[in-house]
Amino acid sequence: MQYPYQCIESCNRSATEDSRWILFGGRGSKLVAQSSTGVASVWPPEDEDLAVSMSGWHEDEPTEPPGKKIKLSHSNDQISTFSSLTLSHDGQHLIAVTSEDKSIRVFQIDSDCNLRQLSQRCMARRPCAISLTEDDSTIFCADKFGDVYALPLIQPSEDEQNGTPADEPSEQDTPKHYVPAASVLTVHSGRNRKVLEEQMKQASKGQKKSKEQLKFKHELLLGHVSMLTDILHATVEGRSYIITSDRDEHIRISRGLPQAHIIEGFCFGHEEFISRLCLTTSGLLVSGGGDPYLCVWAWLDGRLLEKVFIRDAVLAFLKNHPNLASSLPENDDSFRIAVCGIWSVPRRKKEQDEILVACEGIPAVFSVRLDGTTTIDAVPLIGNALDVAFVYASEDSCTTVVSVDNIHKPGSTTEIREDEGTSRLQYFAHLDGRWEDDTKFEDKLEWFSRQAPNDARNAHGDEKAVRDTLYIVENLRKRPGAEDQD
Amino acid sequence: MPGKPAKKQKRQQFKKDVEGEEADGRLPQKKFYRQRAHANPFSDHSLEYPRSPSGMDWASHYPAYAVKSNEGEGRDESRGEGETAKPRSTSKQVEIADIGCGFGGLLFALAPKFPSTLIIGMEIRTSVTEYVQEKVRALRVQHREDGGYQNAACLRANTMKFLPNFFEKGQLGKIFLCFPDPHFKQRKHKARIVSYTLNSEYAYVLRPGGVVYTITDVEDLHNWMVEHFEKHPSFERVSKDEQEKDDCVEIMRNETEEGKKVTRNNGIKYVALFRRIEDPPWP
Repeated sequence: MQYPYQCIESCNRSATEDSRWILFGGRGSKLVAQSSTGVASVWPPEDEDLAVSMSGWHEDEPTEPPGKKIKLSHSNDQISTFSSLTLSHDGQHLIAVTSEDKSIRVFQIDSDCNLRQLSQRCMARRPCAISLTEDDSTIFCADKFGDVYALPLIQPSEDEQNGTPADEPSEQDTPKHYVPAASVLTVHSGRNRKVLEEQMKQASKGQKKSKEQLKFKHELLLGHVSMLTDILHATVEGRSYIITSDRDEHIRISRGLPQAHIIEGFCFGHEEFISRLCLTTSGLLVSGGGDPYLCVWAWLDGRLLEKVFIRDAVLAFLKNHPNLASSLPENDDSFRIAVCGIWSVPRRKKEQDEILVACEGIPAVFSVRLDGTTTIDAVPLIGNALDVAFVYASEDSCTTVVSVDNIHKPGSTTEIREDEGTSRLQYFAHLDGRWEDDTKFEDKLEWFSRQAPNDARNAHGDEKAVRDTLYIVENLRKRPGAEDQD
Repeated sequence: MPGKPAKKQKRQQFKKDVEGEEADGRLPQKKFYRQRAHANPFSDHSLEYPRSPSGMDWASHYPAYAVKSNEGEGRDESRGEGETAKPRSTSKQVEIADIGCGFGGLLFALAPKFPSTLIIGMEIRTSVTEYVQEKVRALRVQHREDGGYQNAACLRANTMKFLPNFFEKGQLGKIFLCFPDPHFKQRKHKARIVSYTLNSEYAYVLRPGGVVYTITDVEDLHNWMVEHFEKHPSFERVSKDEQEKDDCVEIMRNETEEGKKVTRNNGIKYVALFRRIEDPPWP
């Protein structure tokens, strides 16, 4: 099974006369890179000696010839899937989130397209989205538990020392006389009484060690009581803001550092979970998720400018393509979409806002122009849209690279396709308001899209694991009543 | 659970009895509305909450303050695009919120104390909310002559998730957090009603100068609340002197159901007040 790229990111370096770019792709637990000069690399490296020094990689395939791969220590060494890739503004670093080990990994991008992992920081909760300040000094990490942490991009060296266990016992850990949280005078419900009993018992045994603290510099900035789904950092007229979205329909506007505790406002208008936020070139905020529409915001004053009914465009697209008839609902009203990506299309003129939108399990991206009269065009794909990146082949020619699902049937998130050898990428040029295939990239990225080595896991052909990596957004939808009224 | 259907039946019977009889001022009985003391603030309850503060139908909670449809327009215009029927507003905004109001002891003591201020009790447990709503209805009937308790109401809400859906920025003058669930277990601390990150939401709905009132009989929780409010740059602790001069503190100590229980148990009540300070200028 040829694993698709669940996330891609581009690095455009136009400083020199000829534009150079690098495309990165996360495929399972592999990070693949290829540059415009044709240099390619894979992380973690296949090379055995190098593999030993890298974490996050081990081969546990019993059918492999013995001795071919070195088994690493199994303690904290599981395969971890890349869930997002973010490039620093200066193009020097790639920040990757890997899901199973809840880690933020920072890579240095070397001149020859090689990736060197500078740090791996394992968060307390799974990171859902990250964002970088404009000066690339700080990573904001929004997690599954609703909290946003700030971490320095480059891990300070004193972290290492702090990490040693010898340094651990601070004042918190010094054995103090244990006092239970409640006393017998406290008014109790039955359950609290039980907890008190347990605490009393615990007291005789000595206090349990509290959960392991993170051993690197991190600062709690803000939090929702909900799962966070996206985070953006924006600067307007010298003021910086943090925009966060959650599973409970909230978009929150907070001040940036060092006043992130101040909430400036909310953008109210969604009725279902929000999964993605995007700032357009003119500075509007577009949000989407489980609703049939996208919201377009004058976000500084929480004003909803427009609802873009993207679901109707998806329905129309499916109806126009007879081969996708099986994806059509029995009746239009029951048709639900889950927006899994919104990207601002780079434009030379700032006023021309255009975005690309992808919905889970739909083999198309939808281009939405927000220039007063909103127009939506479907760009059909050979597989379900997974991620989008923009590559500059030259100063003024931008190619849109779309990662597509090459293992599931178009329009389905469960059925495996019969044909093999489908490209994992598609390329489009934007010409006179129309999206055309950009054939010149097929050769350039031939290796990246068709040949780059596979994730080891693919040998097992674990369909469910693949599906759970690619299609996670619809799962954010609430199922009310499930745990209600206990 | 045994006994539950009987409670439900009694509640429904009571509701049926008082329905139609507009003059029925009978008070509901607590024993038919008891519900276990804990609710999980993280679960997807089937809650009703407004899309935004402007979508809140406050008039149904405070009918005596309802305004005719032509008034109170203006700020709804921009936000309410998707909202169907325009919610009815009230001539005044709610300014006091009792979060986790339980059976409403504090709410009913505050209502006559601030007769011209709208006070809302917010409770996550359905049947407890129902009890308070029934009591509001009965007290309003009993006080038809003097118009008492028209300023008190109660609604079911998970304020930890949806507080900003109900109140505009700076709308509230007082927030009460009385005898909140202590969530003793370490791993449940995120479920506590006070935390550094949630305090930002209290700061958002409170106007500068507004006060958060806290009381608990759990010293550990008291210390926790003090620590988390003092750490938050939007709040400062109100001095002991000033605290003791505040009438609300006395009411909070003695009128809440839990407060009475603690008194009976000879327990200690820990009080702390925190004032919302003005936001600093942008850096």
